[in-house]
Amino acid sequence: MPDGPVATLSGVTRTYGGVPVLESVSIGFEPGVTAVVGPNGSGKSTLLRVLVGATEPTAGEVTLPGATGPKPLGYLPQRVPFREGFTARETLAFYARLVGDDPDAALKRVGLGDAGDRRVEALSGGMRRLLGIAQSVLGDPSLVALDEPASGLDPGMRERAFRAAAERADADTAVVVCSHALDLVDEHADRVVLLRRGEIAVAGPLDRLLDEHGAADARELYRVVVGETSAPARDEGDGDGSDGSGSDGDETEPAVHVTGVSDR
Amino acid sequence: MTGPLSGVATVFRRELATVVRTPGYGVLAAGLLLVVVGLLAAGGGGATGFVPAVVDLLLPTEVLVPLVAVVLGYRALLSDAESGELAVIRTYPVRVGEYVVGVLLARTVALVAVVGVPYALVGGVVWLTAAPDTGIFATHTGVDSPVLFVRFLALVLLLGAAYVSLAAAVSALAASRRSAIALGVLALVAGVLGGDLALLRSLAAGASPTTIPEALALTPNGAFRGLVFEHVIGVAFAPEGEFVATGRAVAALVVWSLLGAVVSGAALAYGRRVDAVIEEIRSGFGG
Repeated sequence: MPDGPVATLSGVTRTYGGVPVLESVSIGFEPGVTAVVGPNGSGKSTLLRVLVGATEPTAGEVTLPGATGPKPLGYLPQRVPFREGFTARETLAFYARLVGDDPDAALKRVGLGDAGDRRVEALSGGMRRLLGIAQSVLGDPSLVALDEPASGLDPGMRERAFRAAAERADADTAVVVCSHALDLVDEHADRVVLLRRGEIAVAGPLDRLLDEHGAADARELYRVVVGETSAPARDEGDGDGSDGSGSDGDETEPAVHVTGVSDR
Repeated sequence: MTGPLSGVATVFRRELATVVRTPGYGVLAAGLLLVVVGLLAAGGGGATGFVPAVVDLLLPTEVLVPLVAVVLGYRALLSDAESGELAVIRTYPVRVGEYVVGVLLARTVALVAVVGVPYALVGGVVWLTAAPDTGIFATHTGVDSPVLFVRFLALVLLLGAAYVSLAAAVSALAASRRSAIALGVLALVAGVLGGDLALLRSLAAGASPTTIPEALALTPNGAFRGLVFEHVIGVAFAPEGEFVATGRAVAALVVWSLLGAVVSGAALAYGRRVDAVIEEIRSGFGG
């Protein structure tokens, strides 16, 4: 296991329209599964985008001391973005060619071996997410960032999606997952980062945080720390089986935190 | 593991497959063919030879080809950025330059098909049907020839390539499909009319008419028109004259193409940083 973190954020701030979405966030992501949780608009997606370089921070810096190889990062946005008109295999083949990987092996890894000839638009929301996860781990990246991989999926599919993501985490690989699915966080996450209004409320190993806050599970920890009287707005998997796009409102960058609105 | 050429080739294949699977581009080519055939039938030039056909087509071509090129290019780089796929692609070992070149090459190939095929078909029809003998390959001035139409076609594609590249730059700068359309229309109008209006204004302001050949070569449309007069129409009907500075005009078309590619690459490479700097400034004012 590497001595230090795979990636670090130091004093990262990001604003939109002058409104801070992330404020002075400093954290290191170590090998294993780290779940980033928080209310809608708390900056989860922005944190992931900054982490993978898709969004430039307005202050602070991101370093990748432990991310190596030709493709150090893997990324799956909240809205799976693949072009329509291409089959699942063709979609992965494009990315696989860029890193010399095998698209068919990648499809099999996530259980889509039989769906390779289906067009992207003909895949269910869950299958598209699995395809996205397969894409994100092509080239064996050291850091895999997944934005709500289980969003909008049925219980079986969300478990499958989360497990597929978690299986990538090993002694050299950090998997960072934004999620509202706190039951899956309990099951798979080694560490938790809880965001509140663009700042880190708590962060650390899940077991330690549960002990420190006297919480039985991640859901209770969330309630204690965020101070909400109810569960997160909508757990992943409670949706309608769509691909979940827009379910969080965190994906679209301008969806900034608005005090008193976005965290209720 | 991939090298730069492999990255370009991979992006090119994907983009070309996208173009091939977009039925609208086939419709665009068919529409262009109908318009060009209609123009020739209305003008009557096609019945008498290549040069009269080029004369009939020259002015409409200056509008039609940029229009088709803008349609082919105005979303070329926007679609991945808009869908979020560009952020995914950029986690792979493919540089912005490779990505832009791959996309532009594929869109240029599409232009060759969508514009080149209709014009080539029209040229073939003229060859087969024009009343005087058009089968002579001219070796000297004063003779109509298929070679002249081939030259015209090459210049048409050069003009189109410049506009595809500029349209791609528009797509890289645009924040949404709507703004891409607006910017594309603006670029089209500026390109088609802007150069001539600027030239007329400079003449009205007292510029010498002797500067026309050089000034004309600066804009894509002016360069194209000048080259067609110089190397297609002028060859058949008049001693070689100075309609335009040839080297300058060709260089202008190439430079416009390169400019579009460079702007596209810069917009994708530095757009996020510029956005962050603007945010910093905005936050500074707010704070």
